[in-house]
Amino acid sequence: MPVPFKRAITLFLICFLPLWGISQENPADSLQQELASHTAKDSVRANLLIKIAGSMTYSEPQGAFPYVEEAISISKTLDWTKGEALALRQKGHLHYVMADELNALDAYQSALQLSHAMQDKELESTLISNIGNIYADLKQYDKALENYESYLAFAESTGNVNEQIKGLSNIAIVYNDTERYTEGVAYLEKALALAKEEGNELFVAAITNNLALAYKKLEQYPKALEHYQDAAALAHTIGNKYIEASALNSIGIVNILVGNYDAASEVGQKALELSQEIEAVEWQADSWKVLSEIYEHEGKMEEALGAYKNHVQLQDSVLSEEKKMELTRKEMQFQMERQQAVADEEIKRQQLVKNGYLAGALILALISVGGYFVYKRRRDALEKKKVAEFNAKVAETELKALRSQMNPHFIFNSLNSISDFISKKDVKQADDYLVKFAKLTRSILENSEKKWISLEEDLELMELYMQLESLRLENKLHYSIVVDESIDPDNTLVPPMILQPFVENSIWHGIAKRTTDGTIDITIKNEGDMLLCVVEDNGVGRSKKVPQEEHKSSLGVKITKNRIDIINHLKNTKGSIAMIDKEMGLRVELKLPLELQF
Amino acid sequence: MLKAIIVDDEQHCINRLEELLQEHKEEIQIVSCCKTLEEAKRQIGNLGPDILFLDVHLGDVTGFDLLSQLDHIDFELIFTTSFDSYALQAFKFSALDYLLKPIDKDDLKEAVKRVQQSKKLKETSQKIDVLFHNFKDGAGTSKRIAVPTMDGFAMVDVKDIIRLQSDGNYTHIYTISNKRITAARTLKHFEGLLDTDAFFRTHKSHLVNLSFVDNYIKGKGGYVVLSDGTKVEVAVRRKEELIQKLMPNS
Repeated sequence: MPVPFKRAITLFLICFLPLWGISQENPADSLQQELASHTAKDSVRANLLIKIAGSMTYSEPQGAFPYVEEAISISKTLDWTKGEALALRQKGHLHYVMADELNALDAYQSALQLSHAMQDKELESTLISNIGNIYADLKQYDKALENYESYLAFAESTGNVNEQIKGLSNIAIVYNDTERYTEGVAYLEKALALAKEEGNELFVAAITNNLALAYKKLEQYPKALEHYQDAAALAHTIGNKYIEASALNSIGIVNILVGNYDAASEVGQKALELSQEIEAVEWQADSWKVLSEIYEHEGKMEEALGAYKNHVQLQDSVLSEEKKMELTRKEMQFQMERQQAVADEEIKRQQLVKNGYLAGALILALISVGGYFVYKRRRDALEKKKVAEFNAKVAETELKALRSQMNPHFIFNSLNSISDFISKKDVKQADDYLVKFAKLTRSILENSEKKWISLEEDLELMELYMQLESLRLENKLHYSIVVDESIDPDNTLVPPMILQPFVENSIWHGIAKRTTDGTIDITIKNEGDMLLCVVEDNGVGRSKKVPQEEHKSSLGVKITKNRIDIINHLKNTKGSIAMIDKEMGLRVELKLPLELQF
Repeated sequence: MLKAIIVDDEQHCINRLEELLQEHKEEIQIVSCCKTLEEAKRQIGNLGPDILFLDVHLGDVTGFDLLSQLDHIDFELIFTTSFDSYALQAFKFSALDYLLKPIDKDDLKEAVKRVQQSKKLKETSQKIDVLFHNFKDGAGTSKRIAVPTMDGFAMVDVKDIIRLQSDGNYTHIYTISNKRITAARTLKHFEGLLDTDAFFRTHKSHLVNLSFVDNYIKGKGGYVVLSDGTKVEVAVRRKEELIQKLMPNS
């Protein structure tokens, strides 16, 4: 199989041709001398290093690595991107010839990134081609083709014929490898035309050889033979024994295929000699095969067996060589896949870690936010409690103040009554009144210290108060107190004397002004969670001439309103006072929060 | 006909009581009116009254001083006083009768009625013992109260009361000596009587001595466990105040 040959020729064309030129102009020895005299770590030295490494690509690639590494390090220190890219590309070449395609790809890609960053299209283009070679080796033909075409397009845009030839050839080889020989032939013909135009005989020889191979594959044997002969002749002229040996072998094979054993015999021996001269095992094997078939055909069975033995022996070593290469390829593929997998895994892992961190951060944030809110709520609650306690204290103080205002107010009203009796010289009545007044005052004094007293006690006080007033009005006042059955007066709490101002109003402004007897009805009812206290009289009522809102409240009523406001504030309730004018008299509805002792 | 002596350092008060007692001249005859402790002591010894109207304030001394100087008390006692919470509580503790000045004729009528019904003079001296006990020992906890029962009076040390439970118009009093005393008074009466710092109304039917509370068990209102093992319910509305009383610093 001539594939390795073809590959060898191809690679030859693609990568190393320019380097050959360099090495011929600047032999390694002179370069080494130049380097020794130039020790300053600058771009000149970096260039020299790259050149030396280039010259060593074939002879001793392993030994060239220190040179590229130094070139890379100098370029980095100098921030000389181009130098770094060139050195990296050379590093890639070294790896490539050592069949370490993985590291070669790595170096090429690093170089590609740098050249892309500095917009060096030319360098970028060659690197794309180099990477294309690796893809081709890995049989990733689509990618290889893509790279070669991009390389070709750039070469066409810059008018670089040599590069166009390389691009065309490489594309053709990919087509041939994928058994699309017609396309392959078309590209090779184009490349051949350009090479001839340029007068580059090496290129012409190599391309002609490849063309012949394609025709052979297409079973156009005469055309194949013709091209092989051209190639062999040209190679011989320019002294390229590799191409000559390969072409001669192929001539032999094709001649055997077409049954022309004489011609085959002629070239077979020559091919063997050449192959032996250049120590090309594969081609020697090919030559022995050709010779073996010829001997067989001539009936020289002993020679035929000997030649076949040689062929098998050499073929084995070639095969093992090929197997090794295949193995390397497989290994590379595997490594690349593994690297990809590792990279994917790493990306996944990092994503996971990132997600983990994110989730962790989120949870932490949530916890801290939650914690803060709990803390804030607690703090707010404490704050609220403090404020509420403070407010309660203020309110209680206010209430106490109001209650203490209440007493003198009531006392002076009563004293007025007593004075009234005395002025009327009704001593007996004045005395009775005074005793009851003393009793009532005592009760009020006892209860005014309390915030809440039972409804029962409060109504007793009211009754005492009304008895007192009845006395003053010479029994003109009648009263009734009705407590709804649903209410337990002993267990229901009210602010002490809360009804007194309304009763007083009804008596003084309602009943007292009547000419006949009057009635005050006190009714206590339940209304949801409120206690409804109604004080109703059939007195003269409020003056109809004065608009409702202009009625002046008595001091007592004002105080009561304040007391209810404070209770509402403290207990968050909706206690209220409503004064409703009736046809006869006034109806006061007082709503208080229903407070139970138990 | 009951013989009565009025002791008061102010003439107008004597006049008023004399005038009010005119309405009861069928039952009560005023045998003497005294304005000083010495005079009163002499007249009591001489006349042996059935009723003594005794003012708490007698100039520099008190009515209690007069009582403490008497060898024995074999008369009904009705104190008269104006507003004096200290003395009032003492009267209430000892279940002694009293009239507040200015005296209401209706109140006087009630008092006279009680005197006529009461024949157990021995109890009066017991009540006075309680009165003196409480005066001698000012500290609130060791006070003693005279508890009116179905058949008389029981003298109870306040500090020995574990709890009180209402039973309609009666109240059961449980003491550390495992005694149950049923008093002919409402729980409300005792609530007003007993020191509000030491006793707490946990429930409509319960008044407990806080110093006997062993545990408070949480609940809607919860309940307290007392040292005699009884569980006493706490009303929802009383819970917060109770907790504040039990843990004043929380």
